Amino acid sequence: MIRRLPLQLRLATRNVRRQTRRSILTASAMVLGVAVLVFSRALGDGAHEDWIAQGVRLGKGHIAIQHPHFQRSRHLDDRLTPEALALADAALADSAVAARVVAVAPRLEIQGLANSATGAVPVFIDGVDPTIEATFSRLGDRVVEGRYLEPGDRLHAFVGQRLAERLDLEVGGRLVLTGQDATGEIAGQFVRVVGVFRTGLPEADEGIIHIPLATAQEWLGVGGAVTTLAVLLESGWVVSETLHRLETLLAEDAGEVTVLGWREAMPELDAAIRIDDYGDYVFHVILFLIVGLAIVNTVLMSVLYRTREFGVLRALGLTRGETAGVVFAEGVLLTFISGVLGMVLGFVVTWVFFRNGLDYSGLLDNEFTFSGVVLEPVIVPTFRVVQVLQSLGSILIIGVLASLYPAYRATRIDVAEAMKFEA
Amino acid sequence: MNGNREAAVRTDDVWKVFEHDGIAVEAVRGVSLEIRPGEFVVMAGPSGSGKTTLLNLLGGLTAPTSGRVWIDGQELTAMNERQRARLRLERVGFVFQAYNLLPVLTALENAEFSLLLRGVDADERRRSVSRLFERIGIGGLENRRPGKLSGGQQQRVAVARAVVGEPALVLADEPTANLDSAASIALLDVMTTLNREMGTTFVFATHDPRLMERAQRLIRLVDGAVEHDERRSPSPA
Repeated sequence: MIRRLPLQLRLATRNVRRQTRRSILTASAMVLGVAVLVFSRALGDGAHEDWIAQGVRLGKGHIAIQHPHFQRSRHLDDRLTPEALALADAALADSAVAARVVAVAPRLEIQGLANSATGAVPVFIDGVDPTIEATFSRLGDRVVEGRYLEPGDRLHAFVGQRLAERLDLEVGGRLVLTGQDATGEIAGQFVRVVGVFRTGLPEADEGIIHIPLATAQEWLGVGGAVTTLAVLLESGWVVSETLHRLETLLAEDAGEVTVLGWREAMPELDAAIRIDDYGDYVFHVILFLIVGLAIVNTVLMSVLYRTREFGVLRALGLTRGETAGVVFAEGVLLTFISGVLGMVLGFVVTWVFFRNGLDYSGLLDNEFTFSGVVLEPVIVPTFRVVQVLQSLGSILIIGVLASLYPAYRATRIDVAEAMKFEA
Repeated sequence: MNGNREAAVRTDDVWKVFEHDGIAVEAVRGVSLEIRPGEFVVMAGPSGSGKTTLLNLLGGLTAPTSGRVWIDGQELTAMNERQRARLRLERVGFVFQAYNLLPVLTALENAEFSLLLRGVDADERRRSVSRLFERIGIGGLENRRPGKLSGGQQQRVAVARAVVGEPALVLADEPTANLDSAASIALLDVMTTLNREMGTTFVFATHDPRLMERAQRLIRLVDGAVEHDERRSPSPA
């Protein structure tokens, strides 16, 4: 059988090439299926990248450098001391890391209460560097009143719209923040509202306050310490390698500093993406099944239609296995061609019509939030080499599996009966 | 060719019984035959007499229910599927009523198919086929695909495919049934010429009286059994 492999491939190639109409009909379902697959994967990956980008900016960056216990305790005792910060800065200066880093935002985060004459609301209070944070979390882009914090601000606060409404605050209004300081005592800090933001995310709009980092450090008595260095990278695809590099660099200082990827630092977002991924997988499996059934159907129909032809091959001296080989090669060849064409079609359609993003804002009345992330109503598709190879590999596997049954059927043809067969 | 004295094909008490809805139908009943190399044999008989089934048994396309079949001295009925396929390739040529050329191959590619399967190199294949095409009157049609050939031309390509490998015998099932008179006569001329000049053994299953007239040996089948087996001088082509 192996000796005649070139002959079988040649016959299969001829059949595919010279039976143009049949090949086109057979391939069209597969081309369409693969194109939809490429399109949906590009959009899915694009959406996830956007979620991650949005999530890490509002949250703790792609990578968070913290005291090993802070993630669990959220206590000021577990802060990064100036010595630990120096170690972290040295690791971030490593050339392999620095090349990937876009911004590093120092934050001093505590849980406390925001009090006004109207009432008190539990909040997350973040002491931030206004200059860095303006480009990191981009809360400044969501100002509805007033302005974001600026260098030189001291007793100022930037608050969410829902919080402002609950505490009956306007720009210029006063509130008192209370929280546990470094000594464990409850301490208060008077601040004045400098601006109000709206993200559309209820927990952010009601629960986050930004104040200048220096103000927070002084109020809480932590000197130059922070609780988190939030690291923003050039893209979500380089997190693993950068995280691994930082872990290696800081391995000896694991008692004072730990490095968390966004999946660990923001487990809710990680879970949301995994759930969405699972949905995508189910969709893709269904799509693959449809494509697989299309291949089985069309290749099997082709076998049944050409019963006499395969009977002739057998009569002329091909064995059952060799005849099956012709059918199998045809199926795989058609799948491969359809797979490549489908991918090209998928890329072209995605690129031509959606390279600037799929805008679904018309379908939404308000912001769409998911797992602590305000989603942009525009999904920009993303293409990756690994995605292309996975799609092609999957289609080929489907093609191989789906061609097995028609090939088996070809081996069951009774030669004498096949000669009586009228297509 | 076929210089040895083995029979081109021999059968010994061959039976073929088909089951249809639980009813046994005896298509071939106890046929024992010996066909010598170079014979031009016609098996005739009414529809349902078992001609095609016997032809399929002789070519190893169907296994007998009982009995034995030898081709060129090799017992077909003792072989496995792979060995039978090999024997068909090397010793048997087939011509079918409906031509049965592979539609995606050209006339030349169809005709050279068995040589290709045998591993004959391309130049030799092309030379053999071109020579044969000239000889049987279809020279110049090598690159046409079956759909672009007349019925008579297609059947000549099928004959070329059957004989190009110089098999021990060629089995032809109603080869003229789909052809008009002129094409039938031309095809019969080709086959009698090949039989005379190349010594090719032909065994036909047919109703065609023109073919029966040319037979050196006429075997009449009735109800799956040989009723009459006559060697005679054929009419001139």
